[in-house]
Amino acid sequence: MAPQPHAADRQWWVWSTAIVVSFVVIAALLAFVVLRIGQGQSAGLSAFAAICRSLGLQAGSPAARQPSSESKAQPVSMVAWTPQVIDRLHHPNVKNGAEIAANICASCHGENGVSPNPQFPHMSGQSAFAIYKQLHDFKNGARVNEIMGSIVENLDDEQMADVAAHFSALTKGALDPRTISSGDPDVVRLVEYGISGRGIPGCASCHGAHAGGPIETPTLAGQRQEYLLAQLTAFASGDRHNDIYNRMRGIATKLRKDEIEKLAEYYAAVRLFRPQD
Amino acid sequence: MRSLERLTLAHLWVAFAAFAVACFFGTWQMWARSPLPAPFVTPDHYFLSVTAHGVSMAFVLTTFFIMGFGYFTAETALERPLPGKAWAWLGFILALAGTLMATAAILSGRASVLYTFYPPLTASPIFYFGLVLVVVGSWIWCVLMIVAMSQWKRAHPGAPVPLAMYATVANAVMWLWTTVGVAAEILFIVLPASLGWIDTVDVGLTRTLFSWTLHPIVYFWLFPAYIAFYTMAPQAAGGRLYSDTLGRLSFVLLLLYSLPVGMHHLFMDPQQSTGFKFVQMMLTILVSVPTLLTVFTIAASMEIAGRLRGGRGLFGWIPALPWERPMVLATGLSFVMLFFGGGGGLVNMGYGLNAMIHNTSWVTAHFHLIFGGAVVIMYFAIAYEIWFPLTGRIASSLLAQRIQLWLWFCGMMVMSLPWHWLGLQGQWRRVAQFDYSNPIIAAWGPWVIVSLVGGLLLLVSALLFIWNLASFRRRPFTAIASFRFAVAVHPPTRVPAALNGFGLWNVLVLFLMVAAYGWPIAQFFVLEAPQAVVHRVDRGG
Repeated sequence: MAPQPHAADRQWWVWSTAIVVSFVVIAALLAFVVLRIGQGQSAGLSAFAAICRSLGLQAGSPAARQPSSESKAQPVSMVAWTPQVIDRLHHPNVKNGAEIAANICASCHGENGVSPNPQFPHMSGQSAFAIYKQLHDFKNGARVNEIMGSIVENLDDEQMADVAAHFSALTKGALDPRTISSGDPDVVRLVEYGISGRGIPGCASCHGAHAGGPIETPTLAGQRQEYLLAQLTAFASGDRHNDIYNRMRGIATKLRKDEIEKLAEYYAAVRLFRPQD
Repeated sequence: MRSLERLTLAHLWVAFAAFAVACFFGTWQMWARSPLPAPFVTPDHYFLSVTAHGVSMAFVLTTFFIMGFGYFTAETALERPLPGKAWAWLGFILALAGTLMATAAILSGRASVLYTFYPPLTASPIFYFGLVLVVVGSWIWCVLMIVAMSQWKRAHPGAPVPLAMYATVANAVMWLWTTVGVAAEILFIVLPASLGWIDTVDVGLTRTLFSWTLHPIVYFWLFPAYIAFYTMAPQAAGGRLYSDTLGRLSFVLLLLYSLPVGMHHLFMDPQQSTGFKFVQMMLTILVSVPTLLTVFTIAASMEIAGRLRGGRGLFGWIPALPWERPMVLATGLSFVMLFFGGGGGLVNMGYGLNAMIHNTSWVTAHFHLIFGGAVVIMYFAIAYEIWFPLTGRIASSLLAQRIQLWLWFCGMMVMSLPWHWLGLQGQWRRVAQFDYSNPIIAAWGPWVIVSLVGGLLLLVSALLFIWNLASFRRRPFTAIASFRFAVAVHPPTRVPAALNGFGLWNVLVLFLMVAAYGWPIAQFFVLEAPQAVVHRVDRGG
């Protein structure tokens, strides 16, 4: 609709536009100049830096200097889910992964990722992200294990991604709550709901099917009982400490010994949901 | 039954069916969050329920109600047949099919991402395709509303478009602007992620695009309530609208200032700079202007009605009003909730104050009072008002309608006032369970139980509403009566072209959107922006 020729209608265009534009200009002057120069001065920033920060051209708040710390951050894990890592996990070198698995991993974790020895975890059923995270942590020393530490020493990031993707492709699955038909009701409650009175979240809130845990959360269903017991105990004592934000250490220290044993037993017994079976 | 009535009723019944189901979900959520032991409580069920409640209330109830009411308004206010009725039915079928697809995805547990999506959470593609169909259906409605008004204007050169239709088209124009943000987010980022075409998304960009939609969508829902205030309530009270021009101005200002303000939902987000947040906060302040204009105009209209009915003195006109009429009662109750909800909103939009209540129950309380309270109670009143012209049957009990409205008002106040209090104490929203044995939050428990009582009142009211509508069927058919919207004290004979069309306002909206969102969106393509890994909720993480 074009502007009308009537004088009164032209006034509407002129005045509405003038009011709206002036308001935006005043808001912008306040937002990007007037307030920022004042804030920048009290924070010890130059006017230019404060204005750039208020526009988003420089990082940081125009009202705070943001003191830099001299101490170096020490992350519990060096894994970063960059698009490159993710891309490699989704599109691995299949032949490469199978070769590494057969030559290095199979003797302990089994040819199909089903471990013959109760001390060693099954790889079967884990996601590529879960396996890659642990391999990477072994390599960087975030997780300490004599055998694994020396084995991953000679693998580079791409090889670790290939072998992780290899095992994850063998079976896919996660704990399927529908397979829980029996079991100690206290443990089922611990798994499903946690114990809010002691600040323990349900295991299934991260490890369950459709759960909201981080992408590297491992599958527990069907895992070796001895392995689960050892890991929960290690988290509780702090011997294992590659869990970001202290998540598992925080939970494991709150669990009683008998609960840890029952959980290990429960998860080892629960059936895995394997659509490809 | 004529075709207009069939079309309108089909839309309204879908809207109210979704509404009734969503009330069950909402009440159960309050129960789950309370210290009382609730059945079926798992985090999975809770977030499935929150998604179902949000999608039903925010997308299905509103969109279908607004479309149905818009078709009704177009034909009754313009007093000529709606053009393109076949298109209207196509829009209905698309939106209904989309609703069913989204429902299936949600109920199967493959879309628990809430109605606001929250990438990098990614649901089943069926969910997003379903919502796209709902939006496409609403776009058809927008086009039909604009065409209906243009045809009428051609047939009546120079005559002022009836206020009810002018407001409806303002809403349609605003909705077209509004959906640009969410459509870009879904089509270019969320759907490709859901289909597995991309592994990472830029969360900052998706949140910024959603904020584009997130504020005006609320005004999209609000428009019918304001249309009822201006064009139905004065008539129901036995008076006249105080000023037609103030009405037009309010609707135009809503169109103008509801759009460039969405970043006040992102005050705590790191991806936008403080300067642009400040600019949008300033623009948000202006949104209160049309609401204050409306409160003034409607209060003045009601005063006219009250004095015509013999009210004397400074406030004597208030008790003189016919409060036994559902539309008048609903308008009064709506204003009370608007007062509290609006006050809470002023805190939300303050850049500094917002930090106090960010992501707490305060925010949930605010939008339940404004939308669930002030707006939805007017949806009820509109339905009661137009059900007679739609069905040709009169209501079986005005008392039952009044009880329903009072129950809704009391339920909403009892539920949401404790939420405000809990929000101030830091109770976070979007959380399934609370550890009430923790002494820091133990005192929250009783207040959550009070809100649950409010939720139960709302559920009873919702069921009574459906019963009230269904009970029209039990009355004999009289005749399809024509519906009349309220007349102004001085009915306009000529209005400025600016207040009879939307050309000027579209230009100004474009300017405001470029100023408010131009660089904040462009920066994601100019500067290096971090990506986040897609997190699929439909495949077990």
